[in-house]
Amino acid sequence: MSVNLLRRGVPGAQALAQVHRRSRGAHDVDEWGLDPELVALANPVFALRWDIEVRGAEQLPAVGGAVLVFNRRFGVSEPWVVARGIRQATGRFVRTVGVPDVAPVGPFIRRFGGVLDRTDEIAGLLRAGQLVGLPMSRDLRSRERVGHLDVERLEAAIETGAPVVPVALVGRELGRAWTIVVGEPVPPVADGGPLAAAELAESTHRAAQILLDESLPTSWWF
Amino acid sequence: MRVLITGMGGELGTRVANLMEADESVTEIMGMDLFPPRRRIFRSEFHRVEPTDRRKAVHLVRDFDPEVILHLGVFEPHSRTSPSEARRGTAASAVSVLGAAAKCPSLQAIVVRSGIEVYGRARGAATRPDESVPIQPTSPFGQSLAHVEQVATEAGDVAGVPVTALRFAPIVGPSIPSPLGRYLRLPVVSVDPLSELPFSLLHQEDAGLAMVAAATARHDGPLNVVGPGAVTASQAVRMGRRIPLPVFGPGWWAAGAIAELQGAPLPAHSRELLTRGCTADGTLARTVLGVEPRTTHDVVTQLYRWATLAHPEPSNQVTPR
Repeated sequence: MSVNLLRRGVPGAQALAQVHRRSRGAHDVDEWGLDPELVALANPVFALRWDIEVRGAEQLPAVGGAVLVFNRRFGVSEPWVVARGIRQATGRFVRTVGVPDVAPVGPFIRRFGGVLDRTDEIAGLLRAGQLVGLPMSRDLRSRERVGHLDVERLEAAIETGAPVVPVALVGRELGRAWTIVVGEPVPPVADGGPLAAAELAESTHRAAQILLDESLPTSWWF
Repeated sequence: MRVLITGMGGELGTRVANLMEADESVTEIMGMDLFPPRRRIFRSEFHRVEPTDRRKAVHLVRDFDPEVILHLGVFEPHSRTSPSEARRGTAASAVSVLGAAAKCPSLQAIVVRSGIEVYGRARGAATRPDESVPIQPTSPFGQSLAHVEQVATEAGDVAGVPVTALRFAPIVGPSIPSPLGRYLRLPVVSVDPLSELPFSLLHQEDAGLAMVAAATARHDGPLNVVGPGAVTASQAVRMGRRIPLPVFGPGWWAAGAIAELQGAPLPAHSRELLTRGCTADGTLARTVLGVEPRTTHDVVTQLYRWATLAHPEPSNQVTPR
């Protein structure tokens, strides 16, 4: 019956078919807890909340892992905005780092792609060819400055050889319009060694700051 | 090659023995266990040994002088024995057999059955650990497996041979006694939809193939052997057309007691798996061993198909031609 409704193009038939599939447990959940069908079902709700423009999405690899380093101010909307915006632009899921491992919040956010803030967790995702969203620290005082970047987390990118891509987010926490600007991947540190992660973090921080400076409107009111 | 298989009486041990018997490079096979083999063995020699009978185990191992040890003498709580017996048996078996093997002059490799339960599911623990993640078991079964790995490593160091610890995902199969398999096949299954995380499983046949491949791979270190993909407990229950019963916090005690009354006691590591998930990165094992396990989805699907197996009553009537 669901198939017939789908063939006839009845509105809501696809969602109905998805709900039916879920009731039989025939949907996919990956090892980290991402549920792509649930994300698709929640799409209309996300569309009401955020209107996202993405620039420079072609900088992201079509396949394989990459670390997307993004700024945040309060940090509530930003992980969702990055995940939704990049998925709309590229069709790929972004696994945003920083989910609390406490039920029921943690497992709920994991269904939408969130992952724990651990270097080995990030390395595992990169080896599996996933895009990882790594937030910089919060900067509540100014929206014009990017926060600090945890050097240890970038060791996962060095270990797996995944590119590190700076991303600037421009938008207001209570607003609907957001802009994501994806920069060029930061060149990998050639010689490796103990300083490699620190130098990569420094280059990424600088690149993200420049990208944010260029992305911010000259006057916020316009 | 002379191969010693401990735990030969179990479903997995018997299957490994049959697979080794089919290998012509294996000249002699000796098996030990508390229980007799589950199926017919053809050219293996079996000895029934209590896990706590150290003197007999040491004597047999030294007399046989194995080249390869496949240590499957691990007892899962509520699988065929009680949790306390399982813990004592696993520890005693590992110490006596691996300790004796360390002094055998012909020994070339040790392979032990472990599990991904050794990584533990403490708050903030890695969701999908690879072999480089330090172990931190949080269940009694995980601690037992970690002890087996530790004893095997010590024995390997003494003997100067590689030790492969195969960290299996929970093994489920058509005839293997598994507390998780029994629990998931109950008509009404308690689940925690608000906190559950995905888990991975391994088919018993893939576990056997991995064990046999490890005997010749001579890999030194742990290997995660995991069926690709994962499912949540609620999803598995719905796949089996069972009734999921949402349970939270202390309700698990009641759920565990009711399950036990129905003949499916839920050990601590299985409950941890249902609420906190349990999976691992099995990429390295697939490369080293060349074994491609069935997906977790397939293992769960088959778990519920076994319920429909027909058991015809024996009949003396002869069908007329």
